[in-house]
Amino acid sequence: MTIRPLPGGIVTRRDDPAGSVPVAQPSSLDWRLQTIVADSSAPQFRRAVVALSGGRTDRSIVALAADLARAGHAELVGVHVVEIDWTLPLDADVAGHDEGAQRVLDIAETTAEASRYQLETVLLQARDVGAAIVDEATERGADVIICGLPFRRRFGGDFTVGRTIPYVLKNAPCAVWVIREAMPEEQA
Amino acid sequence: MIGGRRPITGRKPGDKRIRVERHHTPYFRYTGPGQLTAKAAASAPTTATGRFAARLKGIFLGRPLANEEELGQRLSKKKALAIFSSDAISSSAYATEEIILAFILAGVGGAAFSLSIEVSIAIAVLLAIVAFSYRQVCIAYPTGGGSYSVSKVNFGRHASLIAASALLIDYTLTVAVSTSSAVEQIASAVPALHDWKVIIGISAIGLITLGNLRGLREAGNIFAIPTYLFLGSAFLMIGMGVFRIVFMGDTGPTPSPAVIEAMKDTAENVGILILLRAFASGAVALTGTEAIATGVPAFQPPEARNAAATLMAMAIILATLFIGITFLATSFHILPSKEQTVIAQIANHVYGDSVGFYLFQAFTALLLFLAANTSFAAFPRLAAVLAEDGFFPRQFSFRGDRLAFSTGIMLLGIVAALVVIAGGGSTHALIPLYAVGVFIDFTISQSGMVRHWISTKDPGWRYRLVINAVGAVLTFVIAIVVTSVKFTSGAWFVVILIPALVSIMLFIRHQYDGQAEELLVRDDLVFDRPHREQRVVIPVNGINRSVVQAVMFGRSLVSDPSMLQAVFVTTELEEAERLRERWERQLPGVPLVVVESPYRALVGPVVTYLDVLDRAWPPDKEAPTTIVVLPEYVARHWWDRMLYNQAAKRLKAALVGREHTVIADVPYRRSEHHDDLADANELP
Repeated sequence: MTIRPLPGGIVTRRDDPAGSVPVAQPSSLDWRLQTIVADSSAPQFRRAVVALSGGRTDRSIVALAADLARAGHAELVGVHVVEIDWTLPLDADVAGHDEGAQRVLDIAETTAEASRYQLETVLLQARDVGAAIVDEATERGADVIICGLPFRRRFGGDFTVGRTIPYVLKNAPCAVWVIREAMPEEQA
Repeated sequence: MIGGRRPITGRKPGDKRIRVERHHTPYFRYTGPGQLTAKAAASAPTTATGRFAARLKGIFLGRPLANEEELGQRLSKKKALAIFSSDAISSSAYATEEIILAFILAGVGGAAFSLSIEVSIAIAVLLAIVAFSYRQVCIAYPTGGGSYSVSKVNFGRHASLIAASALLIDYTLTVAVSTSSAVEQIASAVPALHDWKVIIGISAIGLITLGNLRGLREAGNIFAIPTYLFLGSAFLMIGMGVFRIVFMGDTGPTPSPAVIEAMKDTAENVGILILLRAFASGAVALTGTEAIATGVPAFQPPEARNAAATLMAMAIILATLFIGITFLATSFHILPSKEQTVIAQIANHVYGDSVGFYLFQAFTALLLFLAANTSFAAFPRLAAVLAEDGFFPRQFSFRGDRLAFSTGIMLLGIVAALVVIAGGGSTHALIPLYAVGVFIDFTISQSGMVRHWISTKDPGWRYRLVINAVGAVLTFVIAIVVTSVKFTSGAWFVVILIPALVSIMLFIRHQYDGQAEELLVRDDLVFDRPHREQRVVIPVNGINRSVVQAVMFGRSLVSDPSMLQAVFVTTELEEAERLRERWERQLPGVPLVVVESPYRALVGPVVTYLDVLDRAWPPDKEAPTTIVVLPEYVARHWWDRMLYNQAAKRLKAALVGREHTVIADVPYRRSEHHDDLADANELP
């Protein structure tokens, strides 16, 4: 494993030739965005799947992805998955009527437009979010999946990685970038 | 909604997913709970004709802009000086000529050479006072202190409307005068264009109008360049001219017979009235002074301080230019001529018949066009503010596809073009109309400031009050002088026009107030289900798909079948009998009323039948809502629309405004597959 510093304080774990796994430092994301864009050695990709959870990190990761994609005119696909539990059939009419799910994608689209970049959006229904994201990325031939990891302020505050990010990290054939939100100052 | 696709299998056997189609995505975007924002595609035309019209509009006006695409650029002092001062500075191109003309028309041409400089200094002093007064406006109203807003806050409705009317006239005349003068500058350089002045002027206004409809922004560098080019070449001309006069004893070109004749009349023959007339004519140099005070929010912070500094710089530049040009004109003994403007003659003498002269003329014309363009930003904005306050029709406050106030821009373009035609493309013909509104505006604005300082008593209010009071008194006196001496030569029109505009605006406001009162819903009312019964009447012309669809729709509106009936107006009872037989067979349960019309009228009998139904309604019950359902056949093409629905249109026109009556159009659209359908069950 080699450690390669990325611009903006992102440290990359490069353990496969296909891509890199950046682990963001707990500093301001906006500051990092500017630094990355200014650096010509910023990582490049052809097609990225941005996993949108509907959380606080969505806007940041879309803006980051748009800025990084610009250099190589890469394609961006925002994916939001509505998890269907086993009490309902997989094709139950759930996400189509879920205004919240539509809004997640629409806000991502707006964020990308504000960064003057186009984001294709995909709404999925699946039993497992991680599997759906990996499958969608695989089918689209994405060379990177970008996920956000927000800081949970409840219960003392912590980064809860959950099930999805570990699944994606373990199963995605392409590179995976996890953009971790900055820790609040009082917690740091 | 699920897109009707099968689940997509993932890499592992159990991992399946479904792509959900997002039908709203091409047209709308969720921006909040229960809140959608329309995308450009939502307002895109759907018909071939509409698409063609939109494409044509796109070629001329550009693609529609979204609200967030509006430029929010703040101006530096240098750029603001160029953009806001173009109107004021450009007036130096014709103000000197107007002073000289006033003396000549009074028959004391010689006085033009000896007294014009004194008159121009007096006007420069007035400019200094007005500029100092407006400096206070910048400080007191950092949100933009146009005369309208200052007087609205301090004096109320009527005074503010007088100010608004004067401003609207001022803006319109700025376009007409600046364009006429610009064309005169061009014609001075290229005499062959002399006979085409009106056409060129109208074309220029048309182009500026089109540019503004496209959303032309005045903040770009391109608008700052002409002002600085003019200033550079004008100051160079003044410098060279003064050098030649002082050190080389240059007395101008060889005097023409007209100059020799004019010089015979000495200054001794000049009375106070002639002096006042010359002063009033030259006072057009002050037009546009208020532009900076109106545009304070456009400055970089600290807005008020920067605007005040820019205003003073503008006043100094304008005064220097004006006095300098007048000094050159009098020293060179230049008189206005039909072929060349005074400033063109000065430039021709100083620069010779060289590139310098043609460049100077081009820069002057460009600056004057820019001054006209400034009004295209100010007039529609003021009209929009007036529309929001209810004094102008509401459409003036709507922004067009390109974020411009299109209605205001078009109105200004048309009226200014008419003024240019009326003036025959001559600046001099329009000048008497010009300064009157400007000084009325100054007076109201400065008086408003006096009241402002008295009521707010901000730090240093006494000193500021004195400045504004002096400005108010002086501009009031000048307004009286300008109106009196120019009354017969055209100022009377403005004197009539201002109250006329005020009356129109008050009338519009009265109409809107009346409508608002009629539509007012009390805040404490809670509306439950409707309590008025509904009755459906369907005028029919037989049995066809369109009629059946309308009957089906009518049935869905009433729960009680007795409240639904079809009406057939005919001149032939036999035809009616045949219809009745078929009607009862095919549309059972829907009563058909046949109205025989021996006088062949159609609309009248239907409306009267509705009146009869109303009269027959039990008087102790609340009158029902009558829903008149009109079957309408939708023509496939724009050209065959006139073949159909003419009777329905007449009926609709007769029923609009009828009490408790709702008209419901039920359009029947013939689709391709319907051609083969014969079964009535296929109908809705």
